[in-house]
This record gives sequence, C-alpha cells and structure tokens, in this order.
Amino acid sequence: MTPRPLLTPGRRALPSGCGPLESPTPSTGRSPLRRRTLLAGSALGLTGLVASGCSLQIRSEPDPTIGDDTLLIAGDKGTPTFTANFNPYQPSPRTAATIIYEPLIWINPLDGELAPWLAESWDQPDPQQIVLTLRDEVTWSDGTDLTSGDVLYTFQMLKDFPANDTAGVWSRIDTIEAEGREITVTLLAADSPALPVIGKTLIVPEHIWSTVEDPSTWRNEEPIGSGPYTLSNFTSLQYTLDRYEGYWQRDAIDVAHLVYPAASEELDLVTKGYDWAYAYMSDVENTWMAANDDNRYWFPPGGIIGLHPNHDVEPFGNADVRRGLALAVDGDQVAEVAAEGYMEAASQSGMLLPNQADLLNPDLPDRGIIGRDVDAAVAAFETAGFRHDGTTMLTPEGEPFTFAISTANGYTDWLRAAQEVQRELADIGIAVTIDAPQPAAYEANLSSGDYQVAIASSNGSDAFEGFSNLLSGEYYVPLGENGQNNRIRYRNDEVDELITRYRSSVDLAEQDEILQRLQRIFYDDIPIVALYYGGLWGLYNEGRFTGWPTAEDPYAPLQTYQSSPLMVLSRLRRVSQEEA
Amino acid sequence: MRYMLRRLGWFLLTLWAAISLNFLLPRMMPGSPADAAIAKLSQNGPVTEETRAAVEAQLGVPDGNLLQQYVDYLGQILSLDFGISYAFYPEPVSTLVAQALPYTLILVGLVTIASFAIGTLLGVLAAWKRGTWLDALPTVGGSFINTFPYFWTALLLLFLLGYVLHLFPTFGAYSATTMPALSVEFVLDALYHAALPAFTMLITSLGGWIIGMRNAMITTLGEDHVTFAEANGIPGRTVALKYAARNAILPNLTGFGMALGGVVGGSVLVEQVFGYPGIGFLLFNAVTGQDYPLMQAIFLMITISVLVANLLVDILYGILDPRTRR
Repeated sequence: MTPRPLLTPGRRALPSGCGPLESPTPSTGRSPLRRRTLLAGSALGLTGLVASGCSLQIRSEPDPTIGDDTLLIAGDKGTPTFTANFNPYQPSPRTAATIIYEPLIWINPLDGELAPWLAESWDQPDPQQIVLTLRDEVTWSDGTDLTSGDVLYTFQMLKDFPANDTAGVWSRIDTIEAEGREITVTLLAADSPALPVIGKTLIVPEHIWSTVEDPSTWRNEEPIGSGPYTLSNFTSLQYTLDRYEGYWQRDAIDVAHLVYPAASEELDLVTKGYDWAYAYMSDVENTWMAANDDNRYWFPPGGIIGLHPNHDVEPFGNADVRRGLALAVDGDQVAEVAAEGYMEAASQSGMLLPNQADLLNPDLPDRGIIGRDVDAAVAAFETAGFRHDGTTMLTPEGEPFTFAISTANGYTDWLRAAQEVQRELADIGIAVTIDAPQPAAYEANLSSGDYQVAIASSNGSDAFEGFSNLLSGEYYVPLGENGQNNRIRYRNDEVDELITRYRSSVDLAEQDEILQRLQRIFYDDIPIVALYYGGLWGLYNEGRFTGWPTAEDPYAPLQTYQSSPLMVLSRLRRVSQEEA
Repeated sequence: MRYMLRRLGWFLLTLWAAISLNFLLPRMMPGSPADAAIAKLSQNGPVTEETRAAVEAQLGVPDGNLLQQYVDYLGQILSLDFGISYAFYPEPVSTLVAQALPYTLILVGLVTIASFAIGTLLGVLAAWKRGTWLDALPTVGGSFINTFPYFWTALLLLFLLGYVLHLFPTFGAYSATTMPALSVEFVLDALYHAALPAFTMLITSLGGWIIGMRNAMITTLGEDHVTFAEANGIPGRTVALKYAARNAILPNLTGFGMALGGVVGGSVLVEQVFGYPGIGFLLFNAVTGQDYPLMQAIFLMITISVLVANLLVDILYGILDPRTRR
C-alpha cells in the first residue's frame, strides 16, 4: 500500500560466499525533520538488490591514519565539492562556520532551554528590556579580546545589511547599548520571548568584519572566530579544524581535531568509520548499527509533522471537521509507515515529548495524544453537518467530500505519511488526492494559501514561538497574499490575547500557565492535526569518544549543524587518554 | 554556397529561439528562487517571516517587467556575464561553470570519442564476420548492457568495485588530500578517480555504436560495388574498410556529431553517482535549487554546443554527400 523507496530485495546468487541476509539500503537524505530521496539515495537502495542475496554485510573500515584525538564528522556534504565560505550569515556556508562563531546564549534545540555561552548571565528587568553580561577573558582566535564592542558591531552589521539578519533581530530591537561588559537591549515593544532570538546571534569580530565592504556577500575564507576550533586545512573535498588553545573553556575540549569530508553519502557513513553523522538511514539496525559494534543512534523529536488545513478554505475553518480528521487518523500508524517506527505519534498539545514533558499541560488526556476513533470521527463530521451514507462522507451540500493533501516532491517520508492518511480517511469515505509539486512550488503554494490541506512541520524547541508563528493573528494574510508565518490562516482572539500576555510577561510561572492554556486550545480547537514527530537523526560511534548525548542525558541533539556541536564537543572525551 | 548560407540562417534562427526559450522556461516554473531556498531552510524547522525577508534581500527577487528582464538578459549573454548563482551564493555562475567544465570535457569527451571509435570498429568487425562469435558477442553483449539503465550499472560497479573490493575510489574527481594542480601526481590521481565513471559510460554506450555500424555496414556489404570489389580479388581488409565501412559510417558520424555537442551537458546521473564535480552535477544542483542564472548558463551552453555540432555535421554532410546539397 505504501511504497517504500527501496525495492524489495531479490534473491540473486552471487559467486562469492553467501551468508545471512543483510540489505545495506542506506538511504534517503540527511535533512532533519524530514528526509528526501535524492537520486543517489533511492538508487543506493538498488544495490541492496545484489547485496541482499549474499552476505555482503557492510562493515566500517576506519582509516588507520586518523588519530585518537581526531573526530571524523559527516557534518557537511559537498555538492560534490566544497567552496570555502565561512560566513555564518550566508544561506549555505560551510557547516563549521557555526562552531567557529559562537552565540551569546546557547539554546538546546530539544526543549528550548538556555545555557550561558558568550554571555555568562542575563536578566529581563521588564518585558521590553534584556540585559546581558558578557563573559570575561574570551579571545578571538587571532588573540584579540572579544569585547562588548564586537557585540554592538555584530548587531549594527545586521541592521546595516538586512540580508544577514536571518533571525530578524531588528524586527524586535529598538536600541542596543553597552556599558563595560553589560549590554542592554531595548525592544520595540513588550516582547519577553525575544531573549532566545537575540541570544542565539553569532558574534563576529569587529576588527576584521568592519574592514569588509559587504558582509552579506563576503566569503570569509579564513575565518577568525571565538569558538573552540580554528580552520586548519581546506581543500575542495575535505577540511579540518584544530583546537584553539586560547579558547575560553579550553579545559572542556578534549577532541583536538575535526575532519569534515565532502564524501558523506550514506554508504560512506557506514563504511568509512565516522564518529559522528547526522542522517536518516533506512533500517538503521541493519545498516549503521551492524557496521560497527560501537555504532549508536539517537532520534529524539525535533518538530511536529502534521496536517495543516487551510482555514480560509471551506470546510476546514470548521473545528468539527478538523476534529473529525484528527480522530480519523492514527498517528502511531502514520509514524510507523512514514518513519519506519523510529518516531511516535505527536501530542496534540504542540509539545515535543518527551523533551518538553515539564511544560506539558497535565490536564490533557493521554498526554494530548488523540487516538484513532472512527465512530467519533464520523460523529464529529455529522456535527459539522456532514452525512455518512455507509460508504461515502457527504458534505452538507450532499456532495462526496474529497480534498487534496499537498506535500513536496522528494520528501519521501511526508509522501508516505500522506498516503497513510489517504488510506485511513478512505475508511470513513473521504477520498483524498495527493498533490506533490517541487519543493519551491510547494512553498509558494503554502505562502499564498493555494492549498486545501498540506503536510508541513511546525512547533519545535521554542514552545511559545511555535505557537505564535503558527497561530498568531498578527501574521494573518488573506488568500492570495504571501505570508510565511500562520500560513494556515488561523484567527482566534483568545490565542492572540494569550500571545500578547505572554510577550508582556517576564514571570516564568505566568508564562507556563499561558503555555498550558495555549496547549489546551491547540488540543480542543485543533488548528493543525498533529501526526507524528519529525526526528533529529543522530548517529554516533562511542568506540573512540564518549560523553555523547542520549535519551538519558539529553543535553543537546546530535545535529551537526547550527550551534549544537558547540555543546556536544565540550562534553566529548577521548576513550584512550594518551595525552599527558 | 547557397546551401551553406541557408544552413547558417537556420542556425541563427534556432539559436535565437533557443536563447529566448532559455529565458522564458525557468520563469514559467512555479515558485521563486527564494521559495526554493526556504524549502531547503525549512528542513531545519519552520522558517519565519524575517528569514524570508533576509533570503529575498540576499537573492534579489526578479523585478521589472518581462521585456526589461529580456533585454537585460540578452545584454548579459553578449558580455558572458551570467550573474551570481542562487544555489551557490555568492559564487558567480561563470566561476562555477569554469571549474566544472574541464572535468566534464575530459571525462565525457574522451569517453564519447573512445566509445565512438571502439564501437564503430567493433561494428565493422561484427558485420564483416557476421554469423561468427565475433558478431554475436559484441552485438548481443552490447545490446544486453545497453538495456540496463546506465546509472544502475554505475551503482552496481561503484558498490562492487568501490565499496566491496576497494579497487577504485568511491567519490570525487581526485583525493581529498590532493590539491588540484598541474603535477604528475595530481593527474595520475585524477585519472584513477576517472577510471570507474569512464569505464561505466564506455560499456553502456558501446552497444549503440556497434549495432548502428553493424547494421549500416551489412546493408552496404550487399551493394554491387562491394561484390564487384570482392570479385576483383581485392584483399578483405581493404574491402571492409575502404569500400564498405567508409560508406556505412555516415549515420554513425551524425550520431557522433550530436553526441559531441551533448558532451558539455555532462552526464547528470553518472556524475551524481560518482560524486564527480562536472557540469552534470552542477546542473542537478541548479535545477533542484531553482537556480535560474546557473540553469540558464548551462542550458545555453548545451544548446549552443548542440547547434554548432549540428551545423558542422550539416556542412560535413554537404561535403561528403553531394545529394544533400539540393
């Protein structure tokens, strides 16, 4: 029913020695939350055809020249080669740019917890002000001190070059001033949730960047940052980073070198002895795990994949219709089909579980997970004026109810999810078609509201931003006009009021209470139908390094991009300690 | 001469049409470059309004009316300025193409020439020795391999020879630790990396040349002048090559001209499978990244090469075969 990207392995005899069936079908894409099958991905599945008939178990064969203090990381994929671009404000710089430059505040992408980084502490005296205290004794890798002047310069640069302001800090900041190591940010309005947005800004050195004519097109080929590593050697197929001995928390960094090869196809990940990779691999037990005894994986949730109904298109503005949809689909089954069972049904609270269990509204039944209940689904549709004639769901006008689900071409897990939803809705007589244009067209359709129901991802580690981006009426635009937030075109005065209240509050207890009320509305009004969690596909090997984050110690996800590696690298320890 | 002028006129007309289509087609694709960039970014979680604004500021959204864009576009083509790539921002398109072109020209170009030469000779042999194993083996074998999709053959060879037996490198045009330079060491390394993709393309394309040549040759062998030559006791080899093959090669030559024109387009699938940094890989990235400037430059290059090859074949035909002149 639900085609998988791999062919069913054929049993072909090969003349070499045959053994237990193993199908090395590493596969689809490396994007977080969602996976896509690229040419190579799907085609690699084909190699399984041959290998499966025979014991060609793929084992890792690490390069013996890589030392005990060197971490091999599949964190940056060549296309197929690298260009030297370490400007972290560009759309696609080298991944390591985000560990060469550091943020003021480190944010855990799992649950949104803040950790002091370049700023050792912060305070929000009122909802319109943030006071950050800069850490002392931080130096740039050329030996110059990192001062509040650099912080002010960074923000000014973002203001002067709006193309670099990807987080939109200047849509929230009014003024920014420094006195000694204290930096005071005055916001345009009461906006307490601006703290993480401003905190995660990567600080760049004024003495270098101010000499650059246009920091939005500059490649920054020889980066000078404050991070734990500096660029050592760069070729178009591989680059290496060396530990910066003057790093402010040098004691925490045990890995001396990082190697980023451009060749990081799935088959490379499995065979070349990588210590750390971020990729979705089909059948991870028989591919990654079977390749090396010390290989491990950890796939925590990083977002919610759901059905996003267009509220301005009838009948999806009707809450009973949305409830009917939510009751008609089985999130666990969708997760099973779409993510091979590695992920679970998503909670309709909008929280990532278990990451954000402490924020969860305890009054929601079954942790906010809406199970499948076909009778209740039909009843909900009947409340909305629909009629089920035994085989087909009829609209109040008496027409058979059909609609199209949009997803993007190439996002195979979303497609499988859509197909499973299609199958489950057919059980209650709703005929669903699937529309899968190219990713760019999919994005354009969602922005302009040219869709009925879409598969999309939402929410995330910042619970409040998740709700406000998705639901806030301030982002509402009518059909035909382009919007990026609230593309479902949702309007709810109560939600807007809660969002405004949250922004003007710096009281954590009050913020928690508002979040719980937002979860309640999310659960009752079902602005989107949460299906399953999108995973963060971390693969690691604990043979040479330990201290990796795990489900028991979820201090960071294993993503190799953005600021996450800063935290992970500060916790990793060599297994064999030869250094004196 | 009139024939040549007429050919040239057609050439210019097709060129203009191709250039204009090249302008229009990407603009008819749904979604803007910013949408493509955002689709890529949104894989790391939902994208906000502010990020979209920054991306649009960075890429620049096409503005002005279509006519104005068209005039600008023609001006840029004349000055070989194809702008900045969206997918590889902020690299200029011309740099990207210049980096990728040599790899493709050498790999695909040499393989095309070798494949044409070997295939045609095998075809001659097969036709001359028709009915023997020298005919059966290349003909049946060639068409057998030809029936596989060639990326599949590529994957199979890569997996077995690269990953399992470690005979060949699995990725790239040279080793990760080598810097591109004109040294013996680098050239050897590059040849070693090109061997497997070249071999794949060679064995999958041979069949076509063999069969084309063999069939044309068998027809020619039945002609009176060949029988006459044989009856006169002219040595077999001379008859085969000078009397039959020379006449039979025309269709294959046309195919060769077209294939040479297509060389600059690279081989998307093979380059993708072997991680080879040529034009094919670049084109794949350009298309998936909605990278109009890069796409336009590559398509234009392919179109012009095919048209020029076509023109040359036309002219060559006019010289070789007087009948085509009127």
